[in-house]
Amino acid sequence: MRHKAIFVFQVLSMMGIWVFVLGISAWVIRLIRVANQLKDAETASVAISLVAIPVFLTGASVLTYVFVGLQRGAKKN
Amino acid sequence: MPKWGMVIDLDKCTGCGACVAACKTENNVGVVSPRLSSENRSMFWMEMIKMVEGEEYPDMRVRYIPRPCFHCDRPPCTRVCPVRATYLAEEGLVAQIYNRCIGCRYCMAACPYTVKVFNWYEPQWSDERKQCVNPDVSLRPKGVVEKCTFCYHRLQIAREDARAENRPLKEADYRVACQDACPAAAISFGDLEDKSTKVYELSRSTRAMRIMEDIGTEPKVFYLSEGE
Amino acid sequence: MSQDATNLGADEALIKPLHRVSLKLTLLVGILVLLVVNMFIVFARQVGLGLGVTGMNHPVTWGFYIVNFVFFIGISHAGTLISAILRLSQAEWRRPITRMAEVITVIVLAIGGVHPIIDLGRPDRVLNVFTSGRLQSPLLWDVTAISAYFMASTVYLFLPLIPDIAILRDRGGKLRPLYEFLSWGYVGTDRQKRVLENGMTVMMIIVIPIAVSVHTVISYIFAMTVQPGWHSTIFGPYFVVGAIFSGIAALLIVMICFRTAFHLEDYLKPIHFSYLGKLLLIMSLLWFYFTFSEYLTAIYGNEPHEMHIVMYKFTGAYAPFFWGMVVTNFVIPVALLSSPKTRTIPSIMIASISVVIGMWLERLNIVVPSLANPRLPTDTGFYIPTFTEWSLFAGAVALFALGFIVFSKLFPLISVWEMREGESHGVKEVTDRVKSYLPGGGTQAKAQTADSGKASEK
Repeated sequence: MRHKAIFVFQVLSMMGIWVFVLGISAWVIRLIRVANQLKDAETASVAISLVAIPVFLTGASVLTYVFVGLQRGAKKN
Repeated sequence: MPKWGMVIDLDKCTGCGACVAACKTENNVGVVSPRLSSENRSMFWMEMIKMVEGEEYPDMRVRYIPRPCFHCDRPPCTRVCPVRATYLAEEGLVAQIYNRCIGCRYCMAACPYTVKVFNWYEPQWSDERKQCVNPDVSLRPKGVVEKCTFCYHRLQIAREDARAENRPLKEADYRVACQDACPAAAISFGDLEDKSTKVYELSRSTRAMRIMEDIGTEPKVFYLSEGE
Repeated sequence: MSQDATNLGADEALIKPLHRVSLKLTLLVGILVLLVVNMFIVFARQVGLGLGVTGMNHPVTWGFYIVNFVFFIGISHAGTLISAILRLSQAEWRRPITRMAEVITVIVLAIGGVHPIIDLGRPDRVLNVFTSGRLQSPLLWDVTAISAYFMASTVYLFLPLIPDIAILRDRGGKLRPLYEFLSWGYVGTDRQKRVLENGMTVMMIIVIPIAVSVHTVISYIFAMTVQPGWHSTIFGPYFVVGAIFSGIAALLIVMICFRTAFHLEDYLKPIHFSYLGKLLLIMSLLWFYFTFSEYLTAIYGNEPHEMHIVMYKFTGAYAPFFWGMVVTNFVIPVALLSSPKTRTIPSIMIASISVVIGMWLERLNIVVPSLANPRLPTDTGFYIPTFTEWSLFAGAVALFALGFIVFSKLFPLISVWEMREGESHGVKEVTDRVKSYLPGGGTQAKAQTADSGKASEK
């Protein structure tokens, strides 16, 4: 029972991380759209987002990869 | 579209400071206690700055120059604002949005002319001053940056009046408070791109200069040098 | 790692400090909590009354908060960057150091990252950054860069922590549910080890450019303006070098403190301090080179506004801070660390404290003098921090110490599984690797090390 509860929390925390990362990406994209509408140096924001969004996505992907890998690896033993 | 600008004739300017006082009352700029003033927390939208040339007495000259916001065409302050609380509006005015400003003071650090002032405390109004605040200009809360707006509220009123009377805006309709107060008529204000205005002519005169033109900010406040 | 996780043998010494709470520690935590509480009270007062309670004024509109922001973010470079570089270069002596370095990064980054918010006149409006932010502003570059770095370094701290959490989980105790939650079901199968290793490799590669970018971007807050003393192309690398410099010093201080407090003499040996001390010496020389370049160009160019600020630092009101910075950042560390005779642990401690102070002074020397001497010939500004700023500074340092102590009571400060790995595989691996460098050396090293860089040799 406790194992189940802890597993649910672990999955929830992973989802939380994805919500955070996707939230940041959505925010950055929104800022680019605003900059575009206002004709306010939009190239600068695009350049920053090109670096920022992949970094966040990589971080979350690595975490997910390790989480899934550890779960699967534990069962095989 | 007009491009508002100012010309200050240093030959006519007596350094009396009437523009500073007029600006303060017109725009509800906070008056601070002597203690705060000694802490460098005075608030001026239009400030008299002292320029000292030379080192020792006979070869030395002290000048007083009125300095509003220069409303640069390429403003360094708007570029760094994290929330677009200061921006270059249409008609060339550099605007401040007090309700959006988060008070990071980056624009103050970026302005080469140090024209912006910050509300270090909630502005205090004495009972007398409370009764004569200008209702056309919003009072600022503590913690936001503010600066000269070229009396933007006067432009709005002049526009309304002109529209009500169904006529185009005339040069005499939009005058700024410091210009009105100047006893020597040293300050001219108007559309820099309208050939009929006085500022058009004066800003293109051979005496016209701008402060620190070399850093490329393209201020819209021109000074007419002395010695004519 | 062996399956018998509960029996650690000699490495038990790494877990033991977790359960010991001495009177001295309680006292220290009490003082730190007081400082933190004081910080919150003083900050609440600042929010209530306005930023006027600080010493900031016109034209010195930035003070301690921005100085500390740059300083703390600089300290954070100790960790993840150094640990990633050491791991990538397979430096075997890294094993007892990496964990502490990574913890410093995460805690200091969290504290430093909040500093721009306490600097705001309207902290209640900080969420305006989300509704109407401008990515064109260098401040937003900081927001994105620091949150990216925070995320990457937290992941990079967490992944190597998982096997240790699993050890703690298997040992049971009151906190077992927490450890079980954090251990992600790690039991040490081959597949799990491989997955974890892959994850760590990706993280240590991406964390290095992120760390460099973070401090570069922080320097851009200043360099992107046209103000004299700030508008300099060298600022990015200058800040990065300073950051690593102060980071190593902070790491050394933490290492020496916990070596004594946790009796880790057997793990943190003089050789570790000697290596890091040499690194600190190199960074000191590098820092001096950058400082020299920065000021020489200004002086030789002799541009009046620029010169005005340089003279303000050299002979004016900021002369004590400027020359203090040169002494603490260059003279003291070089004098103490140059000779192997004086490169002892106590003198490394002195040099490190000196460098941390010096790098703080450097940030002060960058932020305030440029603001105090605006281009327009108005009066020179002044800046005298008040009780508010000192309280928040003390509180921030206390919060760091507190965070570190809490971490040290929850998790081992020295990576247990990495130490054990070093004992079981490290020695053989290094011997094989060295053999493979030599003519006619063994080829089995290729299979042993994950590093494919030597694949082309043979």
